[in-house]
Amino acid sequence: MILQHFENQESGIMNAIRENPESASPRKKLALETARLGKRLYSNTDDLVWAGPLIPFDLLNAMDVTPAFAEFIASILVSTDAGPLFFENAEQAGYASDTCGYHRMLMGSALKGMIPTPKLLISAMSPCTGGLAAMENLARVFKKDLFILHIPQKESDHGVRILADHIRDMAESVSSHTGKVLDNDRLRKAMENTNKTREILSDIYTLAQQVPSPVNGRDLSNFGIVLPLFFGTEVGIEIAQAFYDELKSRIKANRSGVPGERIRLMWLQNRIQFKNNLVKMLEKEFNASIVVDELNVITWDPIDPEDPYIGLARRSISSPLNGTVERRVKQIVKLAEAYKIDGAINPCHWGCRQGTGARGLIDSRMKEIGVPVLNLEVDCVDPRNFAEGQLITRIEAFMEMIESRPSPW
Amino acid sequence: MITAGIDLGSLSTKVLILEDDNILSTSILTTGEEGALVAKKAMDDAIKKANISFEELKNIVSTGYGRRLVPFAKQSKSEMLCHAKGSHWLFPKARTVIDVGAESSKVIRINENGVVEDFAGNDKCAAGTGVFLDTMAKALEVPLEEIGQLSLEYKEKVQISSMCAVFAESEVVSHVHKGIPRNDILAGIHESIADRIFGMVNRIGMQNDVVMTGGVAKNIGMVRALEEKLGTKIYIPEYPQMIGALGAALIARNSK
Repeated sequence: MILQHFENQESGIMNAIRENPESASPRKKLALETARLGKRLYSNTDDLVWAGPLIPFDLLNAMDVTPAFAEFIASILVSTDAGPLFFENAEQAGYASDTCGYHRMLMGSALKGMIPTPKLLISAMSPCTGGLAAMENLARVFKKDLFILHIPQKESDHGVRILADHIRDMAESVSSHTGKVLDNDRLRKAMENTNKTREILSDIYTLAQQVPSPVNGRDLSNFGIVLPLFFGTEVGIEIAQAFYDELKSRIKANRSGVPGERIRLMWLQNRIQFKNNLVKMLEKEFNASIVVDELNVITWDPIDPEDPYIGLARRSISSPLNGTVERRVKQIVKLAEAYKIDGAINPCHWGCRQGTGARGLIDSRMKEIGVPVLNLEVDCVDPRNFAEGQLITRIEAFMEMIESRPSPW
Repeated sequence: MITAGIDLGSLSTKVLILEDDNILSTSILTTGEEGALVAKKAMDDAIKKANISFEELKNIVSTGYGRRLVPFAKQSKSEMLCHAKGSHWLFPKARTVIDVGAESSKVIRINENGVVEDFAGNDKCAAGTGVFLDTMAKALEVPLEEIGQLSLEYKEKVQISSMCAVFAESEVVSHVHKGIPRNDILAGIHESIADRIFGMVNRIGMQNDVVMTGGVAKNIGMVRALEEKLGTKIYIPEYPQMIGALGAALIARNSK
């Protein structure tokens, strides 16, 4: 059933582009590649390793092992017809309905045998213990081993060295579970690809900062979370390049992402993963554009292809989702200034330390720089808990408030 | 210039017609049926009372939960903005507005020009709103209009620990079964709502004067419980449930 979903998605996009080549867009390119990845995950042909956030997917790609990114798969399953059923399965099996929807979705679908069995599972201790618990549960369901990566909370030479060694251990574990050997030339090439993707991403984000911004609220949604799945590959470079070219051409044509952009917003943490009208409403009724997502950011330096483990370790540690909230808040403030945003929306994803737990600290620091934050109360994954009317009222009131105050910049 | 504001709330629909600085008429109906239909009925009623024709209305602004369902409104605005504008017009010194309606509660901070500076709303569920009070009144078999006064005549306040409207009801029922006087239970219920609103007020920072709007502001027990919690006097408009419609009419008047 899920394989069919990805096959339909792939053929649908390809047909649409074939029939109307002008309809090709970077967003379609990204959707096409994720559909192909989904197809590989469900085709029973690849060696799969389940992995959570902050795991170096490029290392897996270099080993010809397909990364099954847990939260990514959960967000795809939400959009299938069976989505609500999986939540019910998880709850019937005892997973509380106010825990993270990503993890409930994974557990519900695993219990129904609707997610593919990996050779190994890898989880980091960060960003959330709920995620680790979900992976532990999945390992039990699959009867497979779980490798736990210990990511230090802050960057120090000592911590980086320890993590670098630990990532090397991880690669060895992947190798012993899949039989795939990590070839040094492949690894070097993968790191070069990652660096190239990083460079283009950096250019994309610089373009997005322009006033008015060439991006609309949908172009780069989930971008910083999904693109790492393609790190280390040529496809990753192609996707990034397609976005860069599109934004460059919009700027050349003097076309902003949202026509007549009046309000610039930041979306904190992750987007709402199921269909909803909020972003379109922002654009249509308030000429408001989400010009930046918190996770669309590069916090790491290029990786030395001759000594990749150190660079990979630094990258994982530097993620805004790792370490203290204070560190994350600093990063948010930097983005607010770079993108000259008028306000930020924090969905406060249910049952999430990153979402709800950090709320007060984010609010007070943003207040200091004159940027208001709207805290919603959304389960970003489970549409059964979605009260769109309530959310629209709050968003409208927030937009009216922003319209009535001078820009912080 | 004659304008109208219509507040299509989840429980009641309110219309207010304004001519310059004079309120010509008001109308209030139970929402109950299809939103667009009730909106029209309430508008017809208000027009009749004002003794004007619909064509004389130069602008109409809608607000409330069903604001997008009003076919004859030229614009729609959020409840936060409308309650802010209405409260500021009646009480120019108001800086904090507490609006407790049937299914939502909000706290809004406004500046000296009535501009919204910050706001907070109730989270996830109906505890802390008018519907919650209605449920509790039914559980105690007391008319809704009387619960406020009764809550002030307590001997020992009961602690209501549940934050969920459904669980709170069963908690209340179990207190009744234990023979605890209704006044004590009601005092506890009002305090639990006051606690929730107090949390919202603190989130945005209270500034005097404080105004309370929405139907629940007619409940004297709720007002007193909040005053005690906030340590300040709360100003109540004569018709607190009309303030959203008033704000909408004012916005209609001031729109170019």
